[in-house]
Amino acid sequence: MKLDDLSQNLPIRIGTIQIFAFILLAILGARLYHLQINKGDYYREKAQNQRIRSIPIPAPRGAIFDRNGKLLVDSRSTYNVVLSHEPIKTINPVDRLDEYAAGLNLDRNYVLDRLNIIKKRPEFETMVLKENATQEDIIWVESRQLEYPELRVELQPQRNYPYGSVLAHVLGYVGEINPKQLEKPEYQMKGFRPGAIIGKGGLEQQYDEFLRGKEGYRKVLVDSRGRVQDELERVQPQAGQDLISTIDIDLQLAAEEQLAKSVTKRGMIIAMDPNNGEILAMASAPTFDPNVFVKESKTPEGRKKISEYWQDEQRPLLNRAIQGRYPPGSTWKIPESLGALQQGVITVANSNVVCGGGITIGGKFTRCMGSHGSPPLSYAITKSCDGYYYRLGLKMGIEGIIEMIETFEFDKKSGVDLPNEKTSQTPKSWMPSVLKREGRWLDIRTVYASIGQDTVVITPISMLRAVASIGVKGRMYVPHLLKEFKAIGAVGNPTDLVYYPEKEAFGFDRPEPKMIPMTPEQESVMVKGMWGVVNGGGTAGKIRIPGFDIAGKTGTAQVAALGKDVGKNRDHAWFVSFAPAYKPEIAIIGLIENSGFGGDNAAPAVRGVYSAYLAKRQPSAIEEPQVAVK
Amino acid sequence: MVAILEKRTVRDFDWLIAVLAVSIVCFGVWQIYNAVPDANYWQKQIIGLGIALVALVAVAMTDYRRIVDSAPLLYGFGILLLLLVLVPGLGVKINGQTAWLNVPFLGRFQPSEFVKIPVVLMLAKYFGERRMGPLKMKEFFVAVAILALPIFLIMLEPDAGQAITYFPMLAVILFLSAVKIRWVVLAVLATLIVVPVAFWVGVQTGKIKNYQVERINVILDPENADPRGFGYHTVQSIITVGKGGLSGITEDTEASQSALKFLPEPQTDFIFAVAAENTGFVGCVSLLLAYALLLSRLIAGAREAPDRSGMLVIMAFAGGISFQIFMNIGMALGILPVIGVPLPMMSAGLSAMLSTFIAIGFVISVRMRRFVN
Repeated sequence: MKLDDLSQNLPIRIGTIQIFAFILLAILGARLYHLQINKGDYYREKAQNQRIRSIPIPAPRGAIFDRNGKLLVDSRSTYNVVLSHEPIKTINPVDRLDEYAAGLNLDRNYVLDRLNIIKKRPEFETMVLKENATQEDIIWVESRQLEYPELRVELQPQRNYPYGSVLAHVLGYVGEINPKQLEKPEYQMKGFRPGAIIGKGGLEQQYDEFLRGKEGYRKVLVDSRGRVQDELERVQPQAGQDLISTIDIDLQLAAEEQLAKSVTKRGMIIAMDPNNGEILAMASAPTFDPNVFVKESKTPEGRKKISEYWQDEQRPLLNRAIQGRYPPGSTWKIPESLGALQQGVITVANSNVVCGGGITIGGKFTRCMGSHGSPPLSYAITKSCDGYYYRLGLKMGIEGIIEMIETFEFDKKSGVDLPNEKTSQTPKSWMPSVLKREGRWLDIRTVYASIGQDTVVITPISMLRAVASIGVKGRMYVPHLLKEFKAIGAVGNPTDLVYYPEKEAFGFDRPEPKMIPMTPEQESVMVKGMWGVVNGGGTAGKIRIPGFDIAGKTGTAQVAALGKDVGKNRDHAWFVSFAPAYKPEIAIIGLIENSGFGGDNAAPAVRGVYSAYLAKRQPSAIEEPQVAVK
Repeated sequence: MVAILEKRTVRDFDWLIAVLAVSIVCFGVWQIYNAVPDANYWQKQIIGLGIALVALVAVAMTDYRRIVDSAPLLYGFGILLLLLVLVPGLGVKINGQTAWLNVPFLGRFQPSEFVKIPVVLMLAKYFGERRMGPLKMKEFFVAVAILALPIFLIMLEPDAGQAITYFPMLAVILFLSAVKIRWVVLAVLATLIVVPVAFWVGVQTGKIKNYQVERINVILDPENADPRGFGYHTVQSIITVGKGGLSGITEDTEASQSALKFLPEPQTDFIFAVAAENTGFVGCVSLLLAYALLLSRLIAGAREAPDRSGMLVIMAFAGGISFQIFMNIGMALGILPVIGVPLPMMSAGLSAMLSTFIAIGFVISVRMRRFVN
């Protein structure tokens, strides 16, 4: 030190400053050691995680065709505006409510609802804000990437139902997975993410697993605002398999037309091939448009429509063919008659039972619609003689009726490949509660049960299945809608990390039919009676088609007591049938709710479907009436 | 005569300090390139280095005593520049701070960086007389007044980060001007008590904004701070430094933290994090050692200075540079809150480099004349 004023300890003070500076540098060095050496791997991984993101590529869902290859459901490309979670925590999207609503033409409250869902689900990846984004929406979002980095336009294959409300109950629809479903282990195991699109109802739900395909993904490098910089890896999705259904869209359209023309516009029609259980048509009215669920569920108008569907007293979402349960009325006499023959209560040689114009049970008279003397079985079927069946039922006893119910599996589901099928209610299922309440099974209940009333409430599908079996030597098939799934090629190579192997085509795994024990003579007398209903001056004589013998049975099921059966409490009209009578190709059941007499309401509706079938089978048959072969 | 002078000049010129400074700048240019390869910051920095070297040599060749003597003039000029910044239409506003002037050909220029030099010179001139006894109260207040005017103007910009860098220089000069140790102890104790209390009062009264509290909280507990909130910069900086590991990343720089914009302002405030990511612990410790060597050299120069004013200037600069290094790197390592203080000789920016090199030139000038007296 050249300065000589050492009195102030200047060298020491300079040294102090130097040491102090070195201490500061040493602190930095120590911290560096901690961050880079001790925790280097940890931060390396953290850096990795925040910049690599996996973006799913939705798999195109398999299309659905009718049996002749006509397209029933497909997917088209649409764009969704989604809110992505990346930058969302730095901003409060609620502040931008009005901007979103104005820019995307959305209802403010709806946007608020969506944003609230996001808040509750911190783990979400993306949330759809608007489906079916228009060109204007896309431009609006893309031109505001700097302002609103949280918004993104995503390609989304969307389900399209070109026939609209036709076949809606069979097809079902698709929608976002329910948050409650997501909590269930069976959905978690399949790896569903929030917002995943799954089938809801109908074939879409039943065969979701095959239709949905396998999602692909893109591994991308994102920047700090979640914007994609580079693609590191891409795994293509494997499309879902195309489904060929057993439906014949022409018959389906005819069935829907018949229901639309009917008195109450409420009811159902099923057409089935009795030789294998393939369902050719299944219509239920009133119906709904699945496109509303798919395309409009995020618009206020669409949500209003959906809530109306749910609240409508006419229950348009109910598939009456498999979920409706109705007293079968006189259609019940067909399985009952065969049951009586099987059990030996009557025989083919001696099937006569007294009609008596009615019966008195416990001092109360229950009448028949006519006075038929002591008719044989086929005549009783043709004329639908109630008196005959009152006594036949009493002869069988409720045990005999229950045995018949078990034979025809009315106590079970038909096994049709649709979700949420209901089981019929029968004396068998009612027995415990009736005994508990009344102490015993009254004869009057047996009488009612013998004509398909009171404790008998049947799904149309189970009735059709039972009756159709009579025309095909007792082979009672499981009805089904799947004809086959088409094959789909493999995606990737077997050596890849992600490899989706080829999926082979497969058809419906048809169970062996249940055999209804029946002698040829028994079959003959049954078919003869049913043939007479249409062709022998029976209750459905007016729907006769010359040259195409329909065997059937009408039913007029009481909904309310006599005298009150008017207006909305009118009887349900039934008609169950197969044709041609002695070598059936097709079996059809029709039900028109609260329309009155079966022969006047249900039978003509069913005839309309037969006409459509004939028009396809032999276009000339209608124009050139032929003499009945029988 | 000229030849003798030149020979002596070459002999006494402090080559080590100059080479160290240039090396650090070159390391910085590399890191600026790593941070933002697409922008022309690194090219500008090289041009800046050239200008700064010319300034360094010019200052080094000038007798520092003449510079100290003209301190009042330079001080007045500095205040004028700070005033010009505040004139609407002249000052350039970036990120809410009006701290720049547009200069033809050179681009933007930040007076608050330069004014450090006249302020230090002014203080050195005032305290440069041969000392008799301990620091007087009057001297203290004059020193505070010399500092107060520019700081007041800088706070109007407002640029708290720059303003803060003036205080350590004052502290060093007071410390070396025979301030009594009991006052030093008192000042340290007062700081330890007043700062937390002031912070607490500020939070309670709402004078300190939430985002400022968040910046402090993230230091105390970075893992639990909102990683997307105001602690974001600190968290991202820690990740960037940490992932550098022992010897830096080997992968593609396309995926670096700064290329993906996880790191804000990577070429200026967070240049150290970029260096840490690219060169790892080895590179960072080398840089710290280079700084340590440079500081040692400066302080050695101060010890050999022929007079008090020369010693004070060097020590003030050394103190200022140490403080800035600690503030900037401390921020990058998540032990200090985010304050915009550039890293000397590393951060992109002509003004900061120029003022540092002028300071170093001054130090060389002092050293060159150590045997003259």
